[in-house]
Amino acid sequence: MDFLLQGFLQGFFLLLSGDPETYSAIWATVAASTMAMIASLTLGIPLGFLLGHKSFRGKKIVRTLVDTLLSFPTVVIGLLVYAFLTHRGPFGGAGLLFTLPAIAIGQTILGLPVIIAMTATAVEALDKRLPMTLITLGANSRQILWATVVEARFSIMLAAVSAYGRIVSEVGISMMVGGNIKWHTRTITTAISLETGKGEFAMGIALGMVLLTVALTVNIMASGLKRKAVK
Amino acid sequence: MTKALISLFNVRQRYAGRTVLSVDRLDIAPGSIVGLAGPNGSGKSSLLRLLAFLESPASGTVTFEGVPATASPGPVHRKVTLLVQEPYLLRRSVFGNVAYGLKARGEADPTERVRHALEAVGLDPERFARRQWFELSGGEAQRVALAARLALRPRALLMDEPTASLDANSAALVRKAALSAREKFGTALVIASHDMAWLHAVSDHVLHLEHGCIVDTKTLKQKEE
Repeated sequence: MDFLLQGFLQGFFLLLSGDPETYSAIWATVAASTMAMIASLTLGIPLGFLLGHKSFRGKKIVRTLVDTLLSFPTVVIGLLVYAFLTHRGPFGGAGLLFTLPAIAIGQTILGLPVIIAMTATAVEALDKRLPMTLITLGANSRQILWATVVEARFSIMLAAVSAYGRIVSEVGISMMVGGNIKWHTRTITTAISLETGKGEFAMGIALGMVLLTVALTVNIMASGLKRKAVK
Repeated sequence: MTKALISLFNVRQRYAGRTVLSVDRLDIAPGSIVGLAGPNGSGKSSLLRLLAFLESPASGTVTFEGVPATASPGPVHRKVTLLVQEPYLLRRSVFGNVAYGLKARGEADPTERVRHALEAVGLDPERFARRQWFELSGGEAQRVALAARLALRPRALLMDEPTASLDANSAALVRKAALSAREKFGTALVIASHDMAWLHAVSDHVLHLEHGCIVDTKTLKQKEE
């Protein structure tokens, strides 16, 4: 078990000494996940709001589809994005394969159903007296829409935190469409996978600690938001 | 003759095919205080929702200052407001709740009006303004909701059982606030309540409803005789 203890010590050293290779993987993860979160939230909140707020034909089918996509396997997303971005695919000319934006596209597909489904549920769960209250206080249609989003804010933030947790910890998409290229598209999860395969535990443990810290932060935030959302 | 603020003409309201309200003519005069009495299911709340332009009648017309208005959010909802029996507070502070309607009207700094509205319902602004919605008792929430409506200085304030969850002292404060709104801003009030003593004390006249129809006091007395 000495190698594990040594791995922990070396992991701490890599993080504290600012090891460039370790921080390159952290940076790639932050960059790709930030792009994915911006896209997921920009698309997902309005779509989730519409799904929860409006009644339309086929709503149940759309809802079932979104709920099914919640368990979309990351390797299948990776396969689809790869197929679209490869030089033989419809978007091959864009030259996105094996880049951080390619990872972000795949991660957006991963996070989007989480945001849509949880936002829709949050809007559906709002008190039925809310629209009447807003009208009696003199809000116009635009103000009613905005106030409804604000009322569901804790649940929407919870959706964002849950989506981030899923995005930051995935490995299939990053490996398949990112290519795990050192200094470029090597993320925390692909680096851990590679280093463990090589029997190098130090960097894997260092990056694992970063990922665990992220997971812990996400969970603390999620539990705080859950409490506020149900009040 | 003073022009009526809100009028109902041959109004019928139906839910699931059942007629719950049938009013041939009702005028609410500006600055008047009208009480609504009657047993549960007599149509008081349905009448209030029609007067607040939250529902359109199944047939007939509801007008505001002589102009027919609909239930879609519009200018009339900035002049008429309704306080329901169990009001919903927005998920924000007491200040945020009372200031919401004022901000919706483009009021840049509603602080003073929020202060006055809270004082009018007997809530100390220093103690209550920063409290969150979940830190209030039922009675306090009811008074915050009333303050949110008083702050708007509406032309008509409609209240459904405003004292149902209040103690005697708070009920007296609500009465004082209602009378003050009429004196200061000429607000007309329509109040539904089961508390007959309170209702008679605050109202200019009380309308009795039975089975969705307005039955005047005289007719009731005649019936009793």
